[in-house]
Amino acid sequence: MEIKYTIQGLLIYISIAAYLLALLVSLLRRPRAAHTLYVLGFVVALVSFGYRWHHVRHVPMQNLFEVFLCLGMIYPVSVFCRRVLHIGGRSADMLIGAVVLVPAGFFFNADPQMLPPALQSWLFAPHVAVYMISYVFMTKAASHALWQLVGRDPKSDQNLLPPEEATYRLICIGFPLLTLGLVLGSVWGKLAWGDYWGWDPKELWSLASWLVYVGYLHYRYMSAKRHPSVNSLWAIAGVVVIVVTLLWVNLSRLFAGLHTYAAG
Amino acid sequence: MWAAMALIVLLFFLSVYGAFVGPQRAKDFFNGTALGVYWVAFGLLLAVGIVLFRRLLRVPALLLVHAGCILILAGAIWGSDAGRSLQKTLLGIDIVPTGQMQIYEGYSDNRVILEDNEIRELPFYIKLKDFRLEYYQPGHIYIQTRQGDAAWEFPVQIGARFQLGPQFGTVEIVKVFENFKIAIDGDSSAAVDEPGTGTNAALEVRIQSPDGRISTRYLFERSRGHIYPDAPLYMSYERVIRDYVSELQVVRNGRVVARKDVEVNHPLHFGGYHFYQHSYDAQAAEYTVLMVGPDTGLASVYGGFLMLCIGAFWHFWLRKLPKPAQTGPAEQTQETSKWKSNIQSRAY
Ligand code: HEM
Repeated sequence: MEIKYTIQGLLIYISIAAYLLALLVSLLRRPRAAHTLYVLGFVVALVSFGYRWHHVRHVPMQNLFEVFLCLGMIYPVSVFCRRVLHIGGRSADMLIGAVVLVPAGFFFNADPQMLPPALQSWLFAPHVAVYMISYVFMTKAASHALWQLVGRDPKSDQNLLPPEEATYRLICIGFPLLTLGLVLGSVWGKLAWGDYWGWDPKELWSLASWLVYVGYLHYRYMSAKRHPSVNSLWAIAGVVVIVVTLLWVNLSRLFAGLHTYAAG
Repeated sequence: MWAAMALIVLLFFLSVYGAFVGPQRAKDFFNGTALGVYWVAFGLLLAVGIVLFRRLLRVPALLLVHAGCILILAGAIWGSDAGRSLQKTLLGIDIVPTGQMQIYEGYSDNRVILEDNEIRELPFYIKLKDFRLEYYQPGHIYIQTRQGDAAWEFPVQIGARFQLGPQFGTVEIVKVFENFKIAIDGDSSAAVDEPGTGTNAALEVRIQSPDGRISTRYLFERSRGHIYPDAPLYMSYERVIRDYVSELQVVRNGRVVARKDVEVNHPLHFGGYHFYQHSYDAQAAEYTVLMVGPDTGLASVYGGFLMLCIGAFWHFWLRKLPKPAQTGPAEQTQETSKWKSNIQSRAY
């Protein structure tokens, strides 16, 4: 763990603080103030991402530090979910925003690196970006799955979907993106390394996480929603495998594979 | 459909197992006979599913998703080692499997060295016109005290002078060499740059110590800091490679039929094979190493990818997510119940 005494670090810490404060204020039932703080946290996270981009002069999604920096800009997802999908859970989003910024702020190395030749591809940014967006939706889906398990429903006056339905809708958004991310990664692998599938641990974990959602979709269809708790467990398992895909393979260095350049 | 679930869950566990054993063993495992049976069974089950569950045929998006998976599997099986030996036995098509070619500048070759060191020949020749490395500009000079208590990093620019403080004086960059050589003329020798004939990147720096003494040092990119073991400062010259470029020509019957500068991420595609920049001569940059692989089954895999993606977005984004204006729990409930009755009218 290291504290970053840089402008970049400062921006990350302000953002985390704003998200956590927003969460606290929201739990104290001050929705307006919570919203203002949430927006503030987002704006700072945005500035922090833009600052990084300017600093390294390429789309900052090359290593875990940059990926987590990107994940910290979660506010538009909250707005989209509430306005378009009628899905709540803003407090959980504040927590997700803060939690994903913690590794960027305290654990990952932020030294800028010049892009190695394999990463200089037009597929690089879309591949990572699409994955990131889908991960955010899947995480949010898992948070609703948790609410389903503990039996928490939104208040009837809020015009929001019940948690099981919300989980499904969020996965409906995330699954095509997850599929596209996998496919783009495969096409890029073909261009850069000569094979669209290299049996690399990172590839296999991303296939595994995709399969959890394929399993979820079929199970939910088959069981006709008779076992909502099992559906929720699938959705939570999906995020657990995503976290393994994202972190464990890189950090544990247990496996030697193609994707080791992404280690923070 | 339980069978589909079983195969999906099984593949999940197999993937996790593959992730634990590392890429090489995973590759052997997933290409082995047992898994061969699994892949074919999965493909067949998908096909049977499409026939049995009429909704998979009637809903075009779902058809795209499931048929896309079949195409991916079929293409992958067709392009695998087993698929290629099948093609050889059944159709007499003899495809050169994935291997490497080492080609010197100015020469052409058609020999591919396979993993087991067997040599196979392509029906055309590849000529290497030129090989070059491209670097991020500028390079950097790194300076550190022997004790490691102070360090500096400066971008390389001819004529630039850097202050290292009252203890160490200044460092000035005098000359940048692409290919450092010593020219001997009678009794005298001089450092000269001969670019194009090899790579031996170096810097000439002038160090002025605080007492006014001036000394000259050469820093070589390839042998970092070993030349002056007694000097109080450790210095090195470093550049980051931006790209490897092989200028290739395809020669068939003595005529150049295609040409391309192959770089990482920009392979050459010709005659059913892809040629990738793979490695190079790290000493003198005189030869390139290309990876060669057949494109057997690739069209089917890519076609499947496209269908899978289009199907997934269509099904989930356009069909499953109601339009914004309609989205509300009231409509939701209606949609859900309509949907539920669909589901219940199905016999599994
Ligand atoms: C990796 C392979 C597979 C993928 C990616 C896949 C994908 C999907 C997707 C995305 C859905 C839509 C689920 C929803 O609307 O919530 C679906 C539904 C379905 N799948 Fe698969 N599937 C696969 C394998 C199979 C297999 C092997 C079968 C054959 C038995 C099968 C049979 C079905 C059926 C019957 C449905 C329900 C269709 C409906 O909405 O009426 N799937 N599948």
